[in-house]
Amino acid sequence: MPPSSPDRVIPTLHRASTVALGVCAIIYGILVVNAPLDSEQGVIQKILYIHVPCAMAAYLGFLLTAIGGGLYLWKRDERFDRFAASAAEVGVFFCALVLVTGPIWGRGTWGTWWSWDLRLTVTLLLFLVYLSYLLLRSFTEGTERTARFAAVYGIAGLAVIPLNYFAIDLAGGRSIHPQNLEGGSLGVGMVMPFAMGAVTAIVAFSHLLLGRIDIARLRAQLAEREAEREMRGGDGSPWDI
Amino acid sequence: MNVFLAVLWKDLLTEWRDRDRLVAMGIFALLVVIVLYFAAAPGVGSEARAPGLLWVAYVFASVLGLNRAFALELENEALSGLALAPADRGWIFLGKAAASLLLLLIIQAGAAAVFALAFDVAIAPVALPFALVAFLGALGLCSVGTLFAAIAVRTTFREVMLPLLLLPLMIPVILGSVRATNALLLEEALPWPAIRLLLVTDAVFLIVSFISFEYVLDD
Repeated sequence: MPPSSPDRVIPTLHRASTVALGVCAIIYGILVVNAPLDSEQGVIQKILYIHVPCAMAAYLGFLLTAIGGGLYLWKRDERFDRFAASAAEVGVFFCALVLVTGPIWGRGTWGTWWSWDLRLTVTLLLFLVYLSYLLLRSFTEGTERTARFAAVYGIAGLAVIPLNYFAIDLAGGRSIHPQNLEGGSLGVGMVMPFAMGAVTAIVAFSHLLLGRIDIARLRAQLAEREAEREMRGGDGSPWDI
Repeated sequence: MNVFLAVLWKDLLTEWRDRDRLVAMGIFALLVVIVLYFAAAPGVGSEARAPGLLWVAYVFASVLGLNRAFALELENEALSGLALAPADRGWIFLGKAAASLLLLLIIQAGAAAVFALAFDVAIAPVALPFALVAFLGALGLCSVGTLFAAIAVRTTFREVMLPLLLLPLMIPVILGSVRATNALLLEEALPWPAIRLLLVTDAVFLIVSFISFEYVLDD
């Protein structure tokens, strides 16, 4: 049976994203190496070019998880659930990178590995929400039930982000995170590597997301074929598939 | 609306007949207060820590109670019976949440009394505004708590799953409640930003849970 159109589109896009990622990574690497050193922070400031783009990719992942979940609840199409689950996994990966690079930067500039700063805390909470999301998926039996429960939790998790910002701001958490990005005042020569970092992170996110969606699609196909084989009364050998 | 009252009445009546959930929550809250008393080394800034510790006891007791809220419904497929009720499932959610809320409010009152004695903090003079804060905090806990309890009860690790799902989302509720309780114990006026945070959080959680419950019960 020839593969259906979406079956061909995702692997093709995934291969295309590999090329795009390679090109972006080379340009990004050159720009970061040649970026000027910060007069106060020195070389450790260059972690900005990884840390902030990864945070963008993480938030994008969690936004897409909620959108995928919402679309699943609306259309009841498994593809949206696979999209949401894949976005959550890739989002958690980028969020972990944020939580690793943040303390390294913090140690170098603030003198401390961790601070209960507004954005740090919200990111940590978000990380925990989506880890729980992934745990919920693995602890729920039945594809359809897993998809429904995960969609509801993914949407609730996104709804709480602005509330967390408000809450931690109330607790006085807006203290030592760099403010220069809020003002949009990156130093001379820093804008290009930063922008390229953002583009590279989004391309890397798309690359991983497409790869993960393709794996989920293949797994679903495998499960479907195994179910068909069992219905036909196969002897359990893999050659029956 | 009739479904809301029927579910609320059913849950309260079931609870009244065996009282196991209320007793378990009460003993658990008391134990948490005792453990925190010894863990917190009273006397060294205990007044400043008291609101936070009190809310820790409330949150843990609520998780215990919420975990039981749907456990009974699993017996004899009662949950399927609830799902088959010819009404908007949002009202079923509200009935279950209201029953959990009432139980938690009773536990909150008892635990506050024990806490006031154990930590030597004056809750009685600010009982009314404290009751408002406790109600708003409990509403936040029981709204998404009921939604997640309905999810957690049908997972393989149901006892573990509820706190994992609930606690990361509870920071706005805990922060707002602790801030407001702290101000009350320091004999200050109710802090509006904290109350506003609790009101907004409760509204968001109630709306999300009311709408989402439809999909959680959809088996």
